[in-house]
Amino acid sequence: MHKDRFQVITPAHSDYRDLVRGLTKEVWPEFMLHDQVAHELWHELLDRFAEYQLALFDNENRRVAGMANSFPLKWENSLENLPEDGWDWAFHEAVNNHRLGAIPNVHCAIQIVLRAEYQSQGLSAPMLEAVRAVTKSHGLQALIIPIRPSEKHKYPLTSLDHYITWKTEKNLPLDAWLRVHVHAGARIIKVCHRSKVIRGTRSEWEKWTGLQFPQSGTYIIDRALNPMEMNIEKDEGVYIEPNVWVAHKIE
Amino acid sequence: MNTSRFQIIKPGDLPDYRNQEGGIADSSWPEFMLHDAIANEYWHELFDRFSEYQFALLDTEANRMAAMGNSLPFHWEADVSELPEGGWDWVFVKAVEDHRNAIKPNIQSAIQIAIHPDYQNQGLSSKMVQAMRAIGASKGFRHLVAPVRPNQKSKYPLISIDDYITWTSEEGLPFDAWLRVHARAGAKIIKPCHEAMIIRGTRAEWEAWTGLKFPQSGQYFIPGALNPMEMNIEKDKGVYVEPNVWMEHRIEE
Repeated sequence: MHKDRFQVITPAHSDYRDLVRGLTKEVWPEFMLHDQVAHELWHELLDRFAEYQLALFDNENRRVAGMANSFPLKWENSLENLPEDGWDWAFHEAVNNHRLGAIPNVHCAIQIVLRAEYQSQGLSAPMLEAVRAVTKSHGLQALIIPIRPSEKHKYPLTSLDHYITWKTEKNLPLDAWLRVHVHAGARIIKVCHRSKVIRGTRSEWEKWTGLQFPQSGTYIIDRALNPMEMNIEKDEGVYIEPNVWVAHKIE
Repeated sequence: MNTSRFQIIKPGDLPDYRNQEGGIADSSWPEFMLHDAIANEYWHELFDRFSEYQFALLDTEANRMAAMGNSLPFHWEADVSELPEGGWDWVFVKAVEDHRNAIKPNIQSAIQIAIHPDYQNQGLSSKMVQAMRAIGASKGFRHLVAPVRPNQKSKYPLISIDDYITWTSEEGLPFDAWLRVHARAGAKIIKPCHEAMIIRGTRAEWEAWTGLKFPQSGQYFIPGALNPMEMNIEKDKGVYVEPNVWMEHRIEE
C-alpha cells in the first residue's frame, strides 16, 4: 500500500457517512443484503460502536476504497465454543452487552470489504492491520471474525468443513481471504454453520437472483456459499450461510 | 432480420469453412464441452460422409459466418419414443455405422446449431432450424429429431432434467429458450436422454478446462454444465454426464 495515498478514516471524519454510503450494496450480491439481523441492527454500528468503524480513504481519487465494521463483545468462554450462528449471534450479543453495560473483552469484526476496483492490490492486509490496531487500542484480548471465505461460492456442493482444509502448496488455506488472515497470524477455530439466515418469498428470491423457482428444491445461487432451499407450498426460500470463526491474538 | 443480409452456405462455398466453424464452436461452448470423446473422434465424418447435411449462415455484409448447423441421416425403424438414452453420442456413432454398412437412412438428426455470440438474440436460431428441416425435406425424410441441449439448464444444475423440461413460460411454451425455439418451429418434446454426452478428464484436465481446483472426490458445480460433475481423486478421473432432450420435428412433404 502506498502509505500516503491511502488513509484510515473513522466516523469522526465529517464526510464519513456520505463516503461509505452505497458501499455495502456495491460489494455484496443482492440476496446478502436481506439478512434480518443486519437489517434490524445495522444502525447500531454508528449509534453504539462508532469508534470501532473505519474506512480506507483513497486520497488520489477522493473516495473510500474499503470499509471495516466491528464491535466489542463479552466472551468469557473458550473461543472453541463460539456459537454456530456466528455473524447473527455476534451482532445481537454485542448490542445486548452494550445495553446491559457489560464490560467487553474481545473484539469482533463483521465486515472487512474492498470495492471491486481496489481488490487484488495488496490492500486487504493493511485493512486487517487497521482493524487489529482498533483491538489493541481498546485493550481487548483477541480479534475474532466470522469470515466469509471469498472463493467458497465456486464450490457450493463442497461442505465448508472440508473446504477449510484445502491448502495451497505452501500449506496455507486455498481460499484467498482465509489465507490473508492466516498469513497475518490468525488461527482457524471452526466453521459456524448458521452464521446468517436469509429468508425470502419466491418472488423476492426471483428478484434478488434473476432466476425462476417453479418447484420446491435445492437451487444453486450465484455467489452463495451453499445451495438455497425453496419451499413453494410455504412460499419461502431459505439460504443458510456458513462462515469460519478465526481468531487473531493481539500482542 | 434482414433476410438478404444472411445467406445459407454449404461447406464447399467457403475455403476456410471448417476454420470459421471452429471459431463459432470455441466461442459458443464452455471449454469442457469440446472434450467429448465421440465428438473428437467423429467430427470429421460430418464432412467426409454427410457434407450435404452441413450448412452455415453467412453474414454477407461482414463476410463472416454467423451461425453453423450440423446434422446427419440415420436409419430408425422403431417409434421415435424409443430413441435411446445415449442421445448425441449414440446418434453420431449410429449414423456413421449405418453409412459404413450402406444402410439406407430414413430420418435426420440435428447435431448442433450454434450462433456466434455477436449474432445472438437476432432471431437467427429459428432460421437455422428451418434450414435444417429443409435438408431433411429434400431427402424425403418425415422426421428431424434432435438431442437438444437446453442451454439455461446450466443455471439449474440441481434440478433433474425430467422436472426441468416440464417448466413452461406463461404462454405454455417450454421455459428453456432453446427448447422454445424448437417448440415454436413446431417440434414436440419426446423425452430426456440422460447420457447424451459423456465427458471424461483427469483432475489436471478438468482444472485446466474450468479454472477450478478439485482437492477431494465429490460432486462439483461446473459453470456452463447442466448437471454437477463427479470427481474421483483415487482414479484421477472426473466424469460429466450431459443430459439432453430428444425433440421431434415432423417434416411436411
